[in-house]
Amino acid sequence: MTTTDMDTSDQNDLRLLRESVRTLFERAGGSGRARKLRDAGGGWDPEMVRELAGAGVFGVAVPEDLGGLGMGLGAGGVIAEEAGRVLAPEPVNLTIGLSLGLLRRLCPEHPRLAELIEGETVLAVAWQERGANGGPGEATCGYADGRLDGRKAWVAGAAGAQGFLVVANGESGPVLALAEAGADGLAIENRRQADGSALGELSFAKTPAEQLAAGPQVGDALAEAVSDTTALVAAELVGLSGRALEITLDYIRTREQFDKPIGAFQVLQHRAVDLHVMCEVAQAGVRDALARMEGTTDARLRARQASRAKARAVTAAKRITREAIQMHGAVGYTDEYEVGLYLNRALVLSAWLGDDAWHRRLWLEAREEEGAAQ
Amino acid sequence: MTDWNAMSDAEFRKEVRAFFETEYPEELRNLSHRPKFAEIAHWHRKLHAKGWVAPAWPTEYGGMGLNAAKLLIFYEEQQRWGVNRGRDMGVQMVGPLIIKFGTQKQKDYWLPRILSCEHIWCQGYSEPGAGSDLANLRTRADIDGDDFVINGQKIWTTMAHDATHIFMLVRTDPNAPKKQQGISFVLAPMDQPGIEVRTITTLSGETEFCEVFFDDARTPRENLVGELNKGWTMAKALLSFERIFIGAPNLAQNALGQLESFARGRGAFDDPVFRDRFAQAALDVEDHAALYARFADQLKRGETLGADVSMLKIWVTECFQRITELMIEAAGPDGGTIGPLQVGNVGVDVLSSFYKARPTTIYGGSNEIQRNILSKAVLGLPG
Repeated sequence: MTTTDMDTSDQNDLRLLRESVRTLFERAGGSGRARKLRDAGGGWDPEMVRELAGAGVFGVAVPEDLGGLGMGLGAGGVIAEEAGRVLAPEPVNLTIGLSLGLLRRLCPEHPRLAELIEGETVLAVAWQERGANGGPGEATCGYADGRLDGRKAWVAGAAGAQGFLVVANGESGPVLALAEAGADGLAIENRRQADGSALGELSFAKTPAEQLAAGPQVGDALAEAVSDTTALVAAELVGLSGRALEITLDYIRTREQFDKPIGAFQVLQHRAVDLHVMCEVAQAGVRDALARMEGTTDARLRARQASRAKARAVTAAKRITREAIQMHGAVGYTDEYEVGLYLNRALVLSAWLGDDAWHRRLWLEAREEEGAAQ
Repeated sequence: MTDWNAMSDAEFRKEVRAFFETEYPEELRNLSHRPKFAEIAHWHRKLHAKGWVAPAWPTEYGGMGLNAAKLLIFYEEQQRWGVNRGRDMGVQMVGPLIIKFGTQKQKDYWLPRILSCEHIWCQGYSEPGAGSDLANLRTRADIDGDDFVINGQKIWTTMAHDATHIFMLVRTDPNAPKKQQGISFVLAPMDQPGIEVRTITTLSGETEFCEVFFDDARTPRENLVGELNKGWTMAKALLSFERIFIGAPNLAQNALGQLESFARGRGAFDDPVFRDRFAQAALDVEDHAALYARFADQLKRGETLGADVSMLKIWVTECFQRITELMIEAAGPDGGTIGPLQVGNVGVDVLSSFYKARPTTIYGGSNEIQRNILSKAVLGLPG
């Protein structure tokens, strides 16, 4: 088989994966489902989690010998794009990138790995902490004698998770510990986000937790999992932006003022083209970044590509969703209209794991370090 | 004769690269101006002897017969080594038109002379009243016995002062119901009393553009290519490959490299504002390259490019401009100084880069025209 044949067959697999995930989401009700779940108080649909698991979604990047599909990060990106198109609140990237990203690297034998792949459980990952000024600060949460003490912040999926993978300071370096959602001494404060989801603030007081791994490999695995998830969120933003633009184009094609569709006005046409170009550049850039991450094991290169992807996707999503509101006019500012949901989700996904300005900074620093290392 | 298309992409790239690297004259690499033919004639002779003057032409006419994938590689390597395109209007524009629409007699006469550069061609399309609205052109060619008699004016005619022939769109039926009708494609010798060429000095001080005035200039009727009054459709048919070429990443990539070495030398990377803007520009270039690769892959699979390829040009030319603007910023008080600015051992001519970037959003269909095209043909917006 030549490289081209292999490329083609890979592309074919990805196309089939995209079609099946898209069909699954559309049958479940598309973006209308996201609104219903939001109005019901936020969170996700456990039945949908099982259906996604049935389609192999969560194990997509887990090697086959560990029970996954072994299709790699690029396939994860395909799923993330489709989740973004319908604003699916299910913990797709959280599971593909973070929880399974940590378990498959640090403790592939642990029974929770299979449960995550099967959609029987969802684990949130807690590693960041607030500093004195409220922004990200030094990690102080400790783990000793099988118990956690301290606080964690910005924990995505905390409200619906069955347990938490906590990165804490052990007696000799970092530890990955598993705490159950109902464990003693664990208090969860959920901070509602613009899209109806929540970020959890956790506090542990002598909370019992199982040690899964310890040592420097915990930090390495965390960095890798965060890179992967960052790039997956970028792909989710690409899918979201593409759909927000479709909705907007449909609107300006049909909405009439001054006896013609507003999309006949050149000022809107040129802006719409700019949004389209930005969306296409973002899609190409993010897919390329994911492919490059798949092609290297160098953690620094992977981190740099993840930053490239997130920087681009956030810039595109912010611009596209905001322009989408403007082009819809007053109805765009109502909660009732679909396009506003895209803006709200874009706000949340932009802030999570770093926005564009932040990632441009990381990207340039990584590039300079590489230059200096050569 | 070598069947280049039968080679693997990698083999072909190696062969092209080796030829450029060993044969291309060092002093002609990365020329910042458009050379007159005399300046590059020695290189052209080598290229001609190798049979590589016309990579896209079918082999039966003396071309290399490259398919789209190989052609793209050829151009990529050309750009990579800073190989000047030479005086390629004949090869790129008029040759393909003659091959497609010309008579056998026209092919036999003109094509070998294009390859040898016995004839150097310039393109007479734009007019003072026909820029973006090209179909509005007014230069007339009236039939008089065996000749066309040409009256009018062309403008932005690149290197007309160093050309022996002009191919042009002229109005042959002023009464046609639509202005796109009644336009014909004719060839004419430049060396005659009815043609006067004046160079135009651009903002950068260069004189590569010209005005060409026609006052009862003459060309034989047999120099009509294709049917009378069908020139518009013919000229349009040629543009498809040009549109990916004009959106290629190299100009912006080269400028980015220049910006980086200049700005590092000047200490601009200590400024967080500059750092962010540099990162934006660098990522704009990198992500454009990914999009370009997607279109290039389409060509390699043998697919025809759609109107959406215009987005490459919009993005990369505007990005190119931002990069050169950053160079001027990094130059600080030297930002208005003509000529190379010394940084370490290298001189960087920031003004020249800045000027070079300006016309890219104007030529080849202005970016506003490209947006009109995308709006209608790709987004399906009304009106």
